[in-house]
Amino acid sequence: MSDQHEELHQPAAMVDEVSEFEVLELAVRELCIEKGLFSADDHRRWTEYMHTLGPAPAAHLVAKAWLDPEFKKTAVTDGVKASLDVGIDWVNSMPTNFGTPSDYCNLRVLEDTPTLKHVVVCTLCSCYPRPILGQSPEWYRTPNYRRRIVRWPRQVLAEFGLQLSADIEVRVEDSNQKSRFIVMPVRPEGTEGWTEDQLAEIVTRDCLIGVAVPQVGKTENDKRPVRPAVNPYKH
Amino acid sequence: MSTSTRDKVMQHLNIVGHLQPALHEETHAPAPDQIDNAHYRAYTRMAHDVGGEPDVPIRWEEKEEEVWEHNTFVTCECLAWRGVWNAEERRRRQNVDVGQTQYLGLPYYGRWLLTAARILVDKQYVTVSELSNKMDEVKKRYE
Repeated sequence: MSDQHEELHQPAAMVDEVSEFEVLELAVRELCIEKGLFSADDHRRWTEYMHTLGPAPAAHLVAKAWLDPEFKKTAVTDGVKASLDVGIDWVNSMPTNFGTPSDYCNLRVLEDTPTLKHVVVCTLCSCYPRPILGQSPEWYRTPNYRRRIVRWPRQVLAEFGLQLSADIEVRVEDSNQKSRFIVMPVRPEGTEGWTEDQLAEIVTRDCLIGVAVPQVGKTENDKRPVRPAVNPYKH
Repeated sequence: MSTSTRDKVMQHLNIVGHLQPALHEETHAPAPDQIDNAHYRAYTRMAHDVGGEPDVPIRWEEKEEEVWEHNTFVTCECLAWRGVWNAEERRRRQNVDVGQTQYLGLPYYGRWLLTAARILVDKQYVTVSELSNKMDEVKKRYE
C-alpha cells in the first residue's frame, strides 16, 4: 500500500523530457536580460534577498509582544512599525529600497484571546506577508483551502489538528494585495520565565498563519507529506 | 500528415476534451433569452473568486520548489522592480485573464510564468517570433 502510494506521488513519472515550464522560464528570463528590462545582477540580488526570508522575524515579533505589553500595543496597532524591531523594514527594504513590489506595506497583527481564534487566508490569490514570514506553503495556495476555510473554518482547522471548542469564536481574515496578516496566538502555559528566543522557537509558521497553536516542546510544523520536485531548488 | 503527427494531434484533442469543465447545464452559446441575470452573474464571475465554493477535504501537503518556480517568482518581481508592470496588473493577468481552465489546471507558478511571457509580447518588448526562437534555442541545449 505505502509503496503504491509513493509511486502515485512521483511527479517524475509525468515528465519524460525537459518541461515546457523550464524552457519558457529560461527563455523569458534571458529575453528580459537581453532586452535590458532587468539585469542578471538584479535577478541575482533578488534571489539573495529571498534567501534571507523565513518565519523567524514574525515569530520574534510575537515573542517580543508576549514579553513586553508596550511592544504588544505597537504590534496590534502598527504592524509595520513593530516589524522594524525584528529587523523587517516593509517600506525601504532591500533590494529595491522601496519594499517589495508585491507585498506593499500594511501588516496587521491579529491578537488571539482564550475565546477568539484567528486564521488567515487569501481567497482571491494567495497573498501572504512574505517579508516577515517567507514564502507561503503550497497548501495555503490551493483553491481547496481558499474555498473552504472561509465557510467551514472549524472543519478545516480540525483537519490541521486544531480542534476548537464551540465557545471559541473563529475569525477568518481574508488577505488582499494591500493588507497582510499574522496571528499572535495566546501564550501557552508552562512558558513562564522563558526568554524571547525560547518563546520564538514554539511560534511556528503554522501558528502565525493560524492553523496551529504554540505548544511547549513543539518547535516545528506538523509533519505533512512533502511532494518532491523534479528539479528541486536548493535554498 | 504522418502517422506520428496524427497520433500527436489525436492525443492533444483527447486531452483537451477531458479538460472541458464539468458543467451541469447545457452550454452551447445560448440565445439571449436563455440566460437570466443570475446565470449572467455566475458566468461573469472571476475564476479566482473561489471563497466559499464547496469542495471536499484533501490531504494537506508541503511541496518542494522547482528551480523554474523560484526563478519565475524572481523574474516577475524584477519586472515590477524595473517598472515593466505592477503587482495589480500582474494579478489581473495571472488570476483573471487566464480563464477558468488554465486557472485551475496549471500549477501556481505556471500561471505566473505564462503571464510574464505574455506581458513581454503584449507590451511589445519582444515579438512572438523572438520568443519562440528563444524557446527553440533553449530546447536545443537539452538535446
